[in-house]
Amino acid sequence: MASFVAFSEIVGITLRQLMGRRRTVWLLLLAALPVLLAVLFRAAGRTEIDSYSRIVFDTIAITILMPLVAILFGSGAFGAEIDDGTIVYLLAKPVPRWLVVLAKAISVMAVSIALAGGSTALAGAIELGPIGEDGLKAAAAQVLGVVVGSVCYASLFLAVSLFTRRALVIGVGYMLVWEGALSFMLPGIANLSIRQYALGAANAIYPLPVQESRLSSDTAFILAAVLVAVTLALAVWRLMRFELPGGSD
Amino acid sequence: MQATPLTGPAAAPIEAGPLAIELRNVARWYGNVVAVNDVSFGLGPGVTGLLGPNGAGKTTLLHMLAGFLAPSAGEVLVLGRSPHRDPGVYRQIGLVPEREAVYAFLTGLEYVRFNARLQGLRDADGAALDAIRRVGLEDAMDRPIGTYSKGMRQRAKVAGALVHDPQVLLLDEPFNGMDPRQRIAMMDLLGQMAEAGRTILFSSHILEEVERVGTQILVMVAGRLAASGDFHAIRALMTDRPHMITIRSSDDRKLAAALMTNPAVFAVELTPDGCSVQTAQLGAFRRLIAGASRTAGVRITEVFSEDESLEKVFEYLVRR
Repeated sequence: MASFVAFSEIVGITLRQLMGRRRTVWLLLLAALPVLLAVLFRAAGRTEIDSYSRIVFDTIAITILMPLVAILFGSGAFGAEIDDGTIVYLLAKPVPRWLVVLAKAISVMAVSIALAGGSTALAGAIELGPIGEDGLKAAAAQVLGVVVGSVCYASLFLAVSLFTRRALVIGVGYMLVWEGALSFMLPGIANLSIRQYALGAANAIYPLPVQESRLSSDTAFILAAVLVAVTLALAVWRLMRFELPGGSD
Repeated sequence: MQATPLTGPAAAPIEAGPLAIELRNVARWYGNVVAVNDVSFGLGPGVTGLLGPNGAGKTTLLHMLAGFLAPSAGEVLVLGRSPHRDPGVYRQIGLVPEREAVYAFLTGLEYVRFNARLQGLRDADGAALDAIRRVGLEDAMDRPIGTYSKGMRQRAKVAGALVHDPQVLLLDEPFNGMDPRQRIAMMDLLGQMAEAGRTILFSSHILEEVERVGTQILVMVAGRLAASGDFHAIRALMTDRPHMITIRSSDDRKLAAALMTNPAVFAVELTPDGCSVQTAQLGAFRRLIAGASRTAGVRITEVFSEDESLEKVFEYLVRR
């Protein structure tokens, strides 16, 4: 019971922290972009799975929106508290460190999924809904891909933020260099690509006509689960060894 | 605190009997920089002031006691157990950190309730209200902390730290930003907690803060324990040390001759700045100076001390 109370308190305060920042407004605007494009597609009478999936889902939702949202929230959940020193109010409590990490991770995943997944779902419903069963399956596949990708990104950059204060920079670098360039040029690193996990997961529902999907659905789910488990375990390990600086005194 | 005897540098013995806080030959270094060097002491219930200039190692010491830093050498025990990597110890420890930041978006009451719930208190709401009342923050408890003054934020931090009625309360510069009335109220609160058997250790670099609330003090200088024990004994040591005082007057030579006849003065020198006097009895010297100037028929225009800063006092303690 006490653990549940502590868990819900940490989730509550983390959600308020994450949503109360100005950058959330910018992320909301970014999240509105797929919806706006879906409306334009629909208005232009282009209700088709292929081009919508390539342009809106592949180019925007899974390549820009999903990673950016999860990296920003993931790196900020601990990072902001470490930067301003308020982390001490959380850690000077008889709460197991795994519970702190779990609560933070769930919070970050929830807001990331709500924003990126919600946007993808709404856009898919607008554009693909009228197509019928295939359209609905494609929309559901896209949402599943964004959910899996968000969970992976959130876990990874939550952990990174406990090792370095440059988690955000590293995250954006990872998104642009690793996922944006290297994973296209070097097919061998598909096993280490969150984008590939997301695409593989989406294919479990519907074979989306996007550029490269190199992993089977099973492999994608397993690798995503391994990534989340390893990064959260690392986060717990790191938080247990967290030290405050000595200060000027 | 049951008295740890007044001692010189690095020689404070650990007293016998039940101790809430024990440090045995504790050191902490960062690379080549030694922040805390071979410190040993023991504290039981009561209020103890941790006094020292900036950079003395007070915060490092408090962070080790709070379990947020491992000692590089030696042993730190709080209530008989090492606080490092042991979250369970926080049921009995309250910590007020030096950094000012508190969750600005929470109201004072929400912040204290957050602390109470993470402590697993059964009646978190009641405990939070009680803690808010104890620090006198009722009127502002429904306002976001972001709108608080520095002193109010300090009080909110203290309320959050004592909401679970800890056995050991560690406070890093707790009076920063408080106005005199708030300081006195906070000092009285700490005194009440000490009377109830709690062990309270607070750091400060201001002697007068320690004077009112801490009957026992630990003096840290450059990472070492320079002195520990009864406040008044150490205060006397500080006051009765040799003082260098410079006086400017209408006739420095006549004033110097008059002062030399007084036993409180053991050296007088005429300098371009005026009449430089050395005394080991500052209080007695202050009392005699007016009479001496009258007797000599001299008008005093300025009196200043060149070694009154706390750093100078600490340097003197270290030399002893």
